[in-house]
Amino acid sequence: MSRAQRIAFVCPRFSEKGTVGGAETLLKALAEQAAEMGREVDFLTTCAESHFTWENVLPAGSRRIGKLNVHFFPVDSRDTATFFRVQTAISNRGNFTEHDEELWIRNSVNSEALYQHLRENGNRYDRIVTGPYLFGVTFFASLIHPSKTLMVPCLHDEPFAYLSIMQKLFRSVSGFMFNAEPERDFARRLFNIDPARCTVVGLGMDPFEADPAAFAKRHKLTAPYVIFCGRRETGKGTPLLCDYMAAFRERTGRDVRVVFTGSGPIEAPASLEPFIMDLGFVSDREKHEAMAGAVAFIHPSVLESLGIVLLESWLARTPVLVHAKSEVLRWQCARSGGGLWFRGYPEFEEELTLLLDQPDVRARLGKAGEAYVRSEYAWTAVRKRMFDALDGTAS
Amino acid sequence: MNDALFQVNAPGADVEKLVADIRAAVEKKMRDGAYADARIARAERTNLVNLRNEDQFLGFYLKCLHDAVFVDISDFEIRERRPLFGPLLIALKKVIWSLLKFYTYRLWSQQNQVNGLIVTAIEGLDEKYAEKIKTLEQRVAELEKRK
Repeated sequence: MSRAQRIAFVCPRFSEKGTVGGAETLLKALAEQAAEMGREVDFLTTCAESHFTWENVLPAGSRRIGKLNVHFFPVDSRDTATFFRVQTAISNRGNFTEHDEELWIRNSVNSEALYQHLRENGNRYDRIVTGPYLFGVTFFASLIHPSKTLMVPCLHDEPFAYLSIMQKLFRSVSGFMFNAEPERDFARRLFNIDPARCTVVGLGMDPFEADPAAFAKRHKLTAPYVIFCGRRETGKGTPLLCDYMAAFRERTGRDVRVVFTGSGPIEAPASLEPFIMDLGFVSDREKHEAMAGAVAFIHPSVLESLGIVLLESWLARTPVLVHAKSEVLRWQCARSGGGLWFRGYPEFEEELTLLLDQPDVRARLGKAGEAYVRSEYAWTAVRKRMFDALDGTAS
Repeated sequence: MNDALFQVNAPGADVEKLVADIRAAVEKKMRDGAYADARIARAERTNLVNLRNEDQFLGFYLKCLHDAVFVDISDFEIRERRPLFGPLLIALKKVIWSLLKFYTYRLWSQQNQVNGLIVTAIEGLDEKYAEKIKTLEQRVAELEKRK
């Protein structure tokens, strides 16, 4: 393959402020890095901001944002009743046909205007990068010029990955940029993908310094605390975190608080509510200082393909506790030495107690995590892996 | 509730070993009944879906559930977080509770009976099938030996 000079990135959402999900953050960051290194980058996205309503709120058209040419296309009208009916059947592993799968993806988030742009201008691009896999926009955009399309799937072991339409998608595109080795291995098992089509790229992280005492001092917090940053929802495991922390406080009698940043409602037992600090959206500095002062960052989600907040937490020298069922997060912890994993409450209780009682262990895990992120997720390393994939030099 | 289990003194923490040590210690404490606790059963409500295929988890969860199954239907401390009209609101809530208690007590106590019967039935099934599987595994092992 030749050097990919003109690249189109396709992603369902784009935010200038960085308040979208992890996959969107990832695609945007990769696009910015490619542009930074002299590639011509078009970012094709929709006019939607909310991943709940998918309402067209941003004006359609093209804008120069930083070094990117961002093209906003309207989301098509869709039959949400059909979409949710089939989605529920898929999620519950119920009865559905291949026709239902087609109905589901056609009534997902789609943009005919975006597809038309790719059909008309596809020849101008050397490479098209799409993701994440679960959206109509990614699905149909990937199939327009599959021979020059690389997908950033952000794949999880979930019912949607097993759909027959996904077999078609994963077998059609030219290659993949995965976030982690367990994600790649899962995709290879599921879709029988040639290893030559797979590159593990990830996301570069900019190191930062954060004062571990600043957050607690500012908020007059004297008790130790654990932290979670990101969307608060069942899929992210935040109800489990609240249930575990309520049980931990009751069983051990220790005053450990819970700090949340991010969006979404917090489902917590009444006994824990007075001990939760919900900061909502905060600046990166505030978040990093909150992470730096925490006993641990707790990430109970089992569906992660990278875990950006985990990497941030390690840069703040804070160890992590993750759910053992998340292959990716467990793999990150084992590789870095920066965190521990639990299958159920008893292991969680022992691990958190260990970090509370042995600050030297906490410090050692935090430092190991930091060293890991600084070497594996430095932009120089990530850029090399990304350009190896884009330019077809990956082995 | 939690005695210090570990002292990690190595210069670099081997997290694989650390987790393995924690698991071994948890298993021992589990056998001693340290986690047969209704509060753990409640805490694990969203984790059931993640661990339903783990061999040991169901047995452990059933032990916790044994205590959690009976809902507390006795009187409780009525509180009010709003400072304005706080005492008045507490008094009002106490009156409502005393009126409702008569009607709901019978309902909840019946529900508790049903919950108890269901857990006993599930425990019985679990024991029965665990025994059956054990016997079958022994037979398979014997048959394989004979080959």
